[in-house]
Amino acid sequence: MSRAGALSPEILIVDDDEGHAILTRDNLRAAALSNPIRHFSDGQAVLDFLYAPGPAPHTARAGAYVLLLDTRMPRVDGFEVLRRLRSGPALPNLEVIVLTTADDAGEVERCHTLGCDVYLRKPVDYDKFAGAARRLGLFMTLLFPPPAGGG
Amino acid sequence: MRETLRELRDIKAALDQHSIVAMTDPSGRITHVNDKFCSISQYAREELMGQDHRIINSGYHSKAFFRDMWETIASGRIWKGEIRNRAKDGSLYWVDTTIFPCMGRSGQPTQYVAIRTDITERKADAAQLTRYAGDLAEKNKELEAIVNTLSHDLRSPLINVQGFGKQLARACDKILSAFAEAGDGGVAPSEVREPLELEIPQALRFINAGINKMDTLLAGLLRFSRLGREALSIERLDMNALVAEAFSAMRFQLDAAGAQVRIGPLPDGRGDRVQTSQVFSNLIDNAIKFRHPGRALRISVEGRVEAGQAVYSVADNGIGIAPEHQARAFEMFHRLNPEGPAGEGLGLTIARRVLERQKGRIWVESSGEGGSTFHLAIPCAEPQPGAAP
Repeated sequence: MSRAGALSPEILIVDDDEGHAILTRDNLRAAALSNPIRHFSDGQAVLDFLYAPGPAPHTARAGAYVLLLDTRMPRVDGFEVLRRLRSGPALPNLEVIVLTTADDAGEVERCHTLGCDVYLRKPVDYDKFAGAARRLGLFMTLLFPPPAGGG
Repeated sequence: MRETLRELRDIKAALDQHSIVAMTDPSGRITHVNDKFCSISQYAREELMGQDHRIINSGYHSKAFFRDMWETIASGRIWKGEIRNRAKDGSLYWVDTTIFPCMGRSGQPTQYVAIRTDITERKADAAQLTRYAGDLAEKNKELEAIVNTLSHDLRSPLINVQGFGKQLARACDKILSAFAEAGDGGVAPSEVREPLELEIPQALRFINAGINKMDTLLAGLLRFSRLGREALSIERLDMNALVAEAFSAMRFQLDAAGAQVRIGPLPDGRGDRVQTSQVFSNLIDNAIKFRHPGRALRISVEGRVEAGQAVYSVADNGIGIAPEHQARAFEMFHRLNPEGPAGEGLGLTIARRVLERQKGRIWVESSGEGGSTFHLAIPCAEPQPGAAP
């Protein structure tokens, strides 16, 4: 199986606020990230996608996924997604980045307990948001480094 | 002998006035009760004599509780404890109890004397306190939920307003550059040019300023509400070092304002290092913000020990606070100078909260024109002679 796609994971934005999703997408694009981007408006939708029956999409693809996960969503929230990802079948090519508006040490702590170490706060200031998106893009290229002796 | 008897009679009379008294034989059968016993248990003396204390047992305590009591007194030791009893009409009462075993020559108890005090009210108060504590915990949880709402749900729409405002600005730029690229023939007519170059950018500036202000207020409110729940770590504070650090952390702003700083010798105090230091930073920040445009900024910090408290005075020669405004200076969101430099309007409110939590206080003195002096009092590092223990 080709690993050519390894450098370009598909980005899954999980956010109930469509505006935030659009802004995140536009900022990632402005940061010159050309990865495919998909939007889910709540936690259940992305879990359905990741755990869809049949040949699981995350393994069917040569590439990988980066989940940009909002915490506060109706029905299945970000914490619940983290919990189910932890207890469900392992998804080896999946990285989770929590992206939230909350400025709360307790929330960061909860994410860490649930096994997510990357926590980004959405800044109200648009320029900061753009900056955060750029750093996120940079970070993503580090998440899935090209295979050794890559081809 | 007569003297001694008389004295004993007096002591017994006094005891009967104060306490619930009962005596039993070694098997626990009641041989004597005083009036107070009868009145609290609602039993007549005849009903009690010869009975054991099970007559007033409320069933509240375990068998092990009474077994422990019996083992203690049977072996000649004094037992103390709180017991819930049941009166004749079924009502319950609590007594603080001391049982004294009277030991015979054989080393066995010959009788027991039980002296009790009615603590029913105290017990009810304690139960009430527990209920209050529970209510308070509940309220704190509600507050937590409000704080979460503030931090997430109210900020969420701000991100959209600001973010899409920026997109509008970019769209305007695109339209303008498209006109420019189209060459002479494509010059935007003035009806289009004005909204694109002036009106929309101005509207966006106001929108952004409003959003930023709201974001700052939300952040401040959040900080204030967390303050009450953060654990304090009270320790001895080397105030000379603490204040010097607070100033050096703001060196850049102080230099930019050309400030002259003088820190007198300061007595050590007791308080939370981080939060006390934040109060000083806030005062320094205010001194810089509200400096007088017509004179070079001078800030001095002096300290003294007064009535068991360490008092620190931060004086500046800034624009001052008019006497009629001083009382409101510490109010939440009250900005004394709305035209002046931006702030969340919470600095002094937070300072007051911080000091109140560590048994201190903060107040201001200002003649208006000549500058302001903020006084902070916190507990002394050492207990002071003459101060209340």
